[in-house]
Amino acid sequence: MEGHSITKVVLLACGSFNPITNMHMRMFELARDHLEDTGQYKVVRGIISPVGDAYKKKGLIEACHRLEMTRLATESSDWVMVDSWESLQPEWVETAKVVRHHYEELLEAEQNFDDVDTIKYAKKRRIEENYHKHRDGLQLMLLCGADVLESFGIPNMWKQEDIAEIVGRHGLVCITRSNSDPYKFIHQSDLLWKYRKNIHIVREWVTNDISATHVRRSLRRGQSVRYLLPDSVIHYIKEHDLYSSESEQKNADVVLAPLQRYTGASSS
Amino acid sequence: MAARRVPLVLLACGSFNPITNQHMRLFELARDHMHSTGQYQVVGGIVSPVSDSYGKQGLVLAKHRVAMAELALQSSNWVTVDEWESQQPDWTETVVTMRYHYGRILKEYERSVGMHNNSNPSPQLKLLCGADFLDTFKIPGLWRDDHVEELVGHFGLVCVSRGELQPERAVHESDLLSYHRHNIFHVREWVKNETSATEVRRALRRGLSVKYLLPDSVIEYIHRHNLYTEDSEMRNKSAVLRPLVKQAQEPVKSLDD
Repeated sequence: MEGHSITKVVLLACGSFNPITNMHMRMFELARDHLEDTGQYKVVRGIISPVGDAYKKKGLIEACHRLEMTRLATESSDWVMVDSWESLQPEWVETAKVVRHHYEELLEAEQNFDDVDTIKYAKKRRIEENYHKHRDGLQLMLLCGADVLESFGIPNMWKQEDIAEIVGRHGLVCITRSNSDPYKFIHQSDLLWKYRKNIHIVREWVTNDISATHVRRSLRRGQSVRYLLPDSVIHYIKEHDLYSSESEQKNADVVLAPLQRYTGASSS
Repeated sequence: MAARRVPLVLLACGSFNPITNQHMRLFELARDHMHSTGQYQVVGGIVSPVSDSYGKQGLVLAKHRVAMAELALQSSNWVTVDEWESQQPDWTETVVTMRYHYGRILKEYERSVGMHNNSNPSPQLKLLCGADFLDTFKIPGLWRDDHVEELVGHFGLVCVSRGELQPERAVHESDLLSYHRHNIFHVREWVKNETSATEVRRALRRGLSVKYLLPDSVIEYIHRHNLYTEDSEMRNKSAVLRPLVKQAQEPVKSLDD
């Protein structure tokens, strides 16, 4: 068939989701509209992957709660879902590994769909071959905010080869707010510049800054967070009495997992 | 002995074209703020969509705007929609709407509390609005001076802004508003959220998603009735806003009559 082919895309968002807010959900909607507007993509699924407790971020509450809140928030969506794999791992998992895991799962699902060969090793080999070949058929892209893009520049936060894998082999969809300049950031990084074609910048013309930090702050102060996140999530928070001054102090004196891991490696 | 809190009802007038999560946030923020002053007990909230005769560009039929607001507020246990203003034959001045609602609130209150119980403070009705509202007082012909006086002096304003100082500056720059500054309550929403009904309509025209900006039930209603198209936005395009015409013609009864 002549003419351009449409690439199927799955969007993957990694983060604390502490808690999930309407802004997180909006990111998916904006990304989908943007990609499909190019005429080159069809977004078929969205995956929210809350980080594991071992990330050790200040104020991070238990993964089981964050998973359930995310599940409640995605209930009304017919294409965005929550995935627990990352949060169930005993150690913190690098984002590149999470991307790799989900990409492999997606490929396998595609394989199973049209594969009659049940010999496991042949299937595994086919998956590895298709890891590069299938790029035109299905793509997994990491969905994030401008702050994640800019975190690529923070020393010891990311391994260079991980960044290369994410933007080189997969893709990045970055939702920006009006006060940041992602293009400049990309321009100033040789690595990002090399893969600029795989970085999709979605300009959020209408600022929507409902951050989880703000939500937690309002909750601590007994202020209303209604209409900033789904009612079902608010109800869950109240029911389980999450987000207090105590919960915000969790991990206060602990070093963030990636910094701990990479700083340790570089000193050896 | 601690002073009893004044029962307070918040009234929001506007197009609600359509109602969004941002509108409903105004009520939540205002309630939290007025409670925290220690002087008020917010007992109710009223959404009063403007009538079709307002003549604003892109305004869809009041029956739809009222229906959408009802859907949005179904899950609220303290804010309701009121159709009175939308059903009046002509556009109604904001103070007239306020007088109407205040009359009802007072009657209701007196019925439930008893006329002879003087120790309880009377209920109050204040207008809930966004920061840009204060700037509309400057637009020639849009407001009568005696109405502004009654609105801020007699009733009072609860003005929600996004952390900028513009509303306080607007009060400072107006002698009338400054005089009544004790009756203008400034509520700050620190979260920058520019999601307006205008943006929502724009997104809908372009076939873009508005999910999570307004309740699913309202989005469904909009699609079912095919509201907010390029055509709907052209409605009233060359019309003059009704207040500008009406207020140039005849005066309305003032409070002293």
